[in-house]
Amino acid sequence: MQLLQALRVLGIEPLTALACVCFALGLWLLLPSTTARGKAFGLIFTTISLGLFATNLHLLSDWVSDAVFYVMASVTLVSAVGAVTMRSPVYCAIWFALTLLGTAGLFFFQGAQFLGVATVVVYAGAILVTMLFVLMLCNPEGHSLYDRVSWEAGISAGTGALLVFLLTWTTATTVFVDNTAFTDKTPAKDSKEPAPIVLTATAEQQNKNILAPRHVEKLGGELFSKYLIGVETAGTLLLVALVGAVAIIAHGKHAEAQAAAVRTSDGMTSGLNEEGRRNA
Amino acid sequence: MLAISIEALVKIALLMGGLMTGAAYFVLLERWIAAWVQDRKGPNRVGIPLTKIKLFGLGQPLADGLKFIFKEEATPGHVDKILFTLAPISILSAALAIFAVIPFGSVLPASFSEMIPGLDHQVELLVAPGIDIGMIYIFALSSIAVYGVILGGWASNNKYSLLGGLRSSAQLIAYELPMGLAIVGVVLTAGSLRLEDVIGLQASTGTWNAFAQPIGFLVFVVAAFAEAARLPFDLPEAEQELIGGYHTEYAGMRLIVYLIAEFLHMITASFLIVILFLGGWHFWGITGSENANITWFEAIARIVVLNIKIFGVIVFFMMIRWSWPRVRFDQLMSLAWKVMLPLGIVNLVAVATIVEYQKSLEGKLGGPWGVTAAMWGVSLLAWIAAGVLAPLHSDNSAQKDSFVLSAEARNRGVRPGVTTSI
Repeated sequence: MQLLQALRVLGIEPLTALACVCFALGLWLLLPSTTARGKAFGLIFTTISLGLFATNLHLLSDWVSDAVFYVMASVTLVSAVGAVTMRSPVYCAIWFALTLLGTAGLFFFQGAQFLGVATVVVYAGAILVTMLFVLMLCNPEGHSLYDRVSWEAGISAGTGALLVFLLTWTTATTVFVDNTAFTDKTPAKDSKEPAPIVLTATAEQQNKNILAPRHVEKLGGELFSKYLIGVETAGTLLLVALVGAVAIIAHGKHAEAQAAAVRTSDGMTSGLNEEGRRNA
Repeated sequence: MLAISIEALVKIALLMGGLMTGAAYFVLLERWIAAWVQDRKGPNRVGIPLTKIKLFGLGQPLADGLKFIFKEEATPGHVDKILFTLAPISILSAALAIFAVIPFGSVLPASFSEMIPGLDHQVELLVAPGIDIGMIYIFALSSIAVYGVILGGWASNNKYSLLGGLRSSAQLIAYELPMGLAIVGVVLTAGSLRLEDVIGLQASTGTWNAFAQPIGFLVFVVAAFAEAARLPFDLPEAEQELIGGYHTEYAGMRLIVYLIAEFLHMITASFLIVILFLGGWHFWGITGSENANITWFEAIARIVVLNIKIFGVIVFFMMIRWSWPRVRFDQLMSLAWKVMLPLGIVNLVAVATIVEYQKSLEGKLGGPWGVTAAMWGVSLLAWIAAGVLAPLHSDNSAQKDSFVLSAEARNRGVRPGVTTSI
């Protein structure tokens, strides 16, 4: 009882806290280990925590949006759990690809078409394919034990759950209000409650920017005017990384050639050298 | 709401039916063309069953389909069962989903919408109109298609399949860059990522992008061949080297799913070549360029023109297949990175310059024709430079040791390529 009251004072929903505990427990059970920890229980616990998180959410305007959102969100979360708990790295990569597709779907759902597609192109299409390219060269059965289990599963599961908890707590204590509604209902000055933090754009702003039929043009304009320095810095960073990679390869080749030359000359004793010359 | 859903479903049904039938009959066409090129008869027997009517062999695709359905779905014991099944599914769904943003005509006249109750807008012949990022969407899905190939190759647990998968992923990653650069040139002139806008601009100016950006067109066609893994770039499945590449272990329906997906990639590539560079549904004097007051004749003419162009490009794909030898893998890679990528960059810079200074340039160079002539000049120069500077791709001599010995080592009598053993 006292615990519940303490949670209420902090603004924490008891259900959320329970969900996080279940999540940590389930994740710990699901992570690959040396002993059979009971994957079925892990699945049950993670499902329960997913359901508890879902109870905290509000229903959207109509059932179609609800269905789309809940399907996308569950795909994202379930595949994210799959991505960290699979034993074979190739399966991890596939689950991660599914996570990215779910995230892209959520972006699409919010009207951010460019972000959604860019997520797929950049992460699923480029980065993950390159990772798979490397992973394909390793045989899952050939791995030694220490490669196939996750070490310190308890700490990692706990940290993950703590992170989720903090994020949920922050979003739950932040009051999302529409700007227009906010201006209509100015809070009384003497009230002790803190002023709500406004994070959402107004319907008017949304229609003008993200839901506009030509929103990619607007996005490009913003990126190359207001955020030009950021874009250029990111580009330069990538260029630096690229130059670094080329430099490492070039240096490696040079050193290899030198080593090979030294090896060959060492291998040839003077007599052999003479013989080689005579043969040539 | 209901009318819109039904409209979308009808379009999807039309497109799926058309694509599947098209893919089946293009296989037949490919076999006919192969037979014609090799001076033999090709499939010409299957007609109506239980009769003697042959119908030029038009029943062949149906017979092939039935054969595939009744084939045993053999799964080798050493494969990864889940990924083995998932791989063909992912490649086919990605190949089909691309068509959501590809227009298969223009618009229907307003009189059609008036006939159907509940439709309050002109019907666009495009499954998902109003998506502002059509071209990036195509890119995203074609990068998802790589998964099918990589996973199929890995899950088969077979060296030929693995090599096919590796080759395929390297090839697709390499050719996505020149393809992207060629597309960016088109996007710059159209000022939009929507395919229908790209066609609209070409129709209103009457200049197809292939004329205005010849080098971009060339780069795009070569990259499209490589992305569709057609000869001369069919290294992922080179029968003589890798048996079948990533689908060596597949049989029955899973194999046909792979084959259909491959054919769909070729059809997608043809659609993109036609839409981005060959004017889409536009043809001078027949199709008009207005969307609002379109007549039935124009609407149907646009669909027919688009389909004839696509058919022509597909026949071109097939003729290339039977007339060009396969390139070697190092030739493929050096073509992508040392020739196509620089040419794509030249095209992009030239287009960007011209778009930026369009107004002032037209004054100096004498109208749109002057601009096009300048573009051709740049392209010709880039073409000659690529020919002079690029490595010789026909060099088939044995590879020499690539490292250079230091002068000191050479003085000691060390020669490259000589292995010494005592």
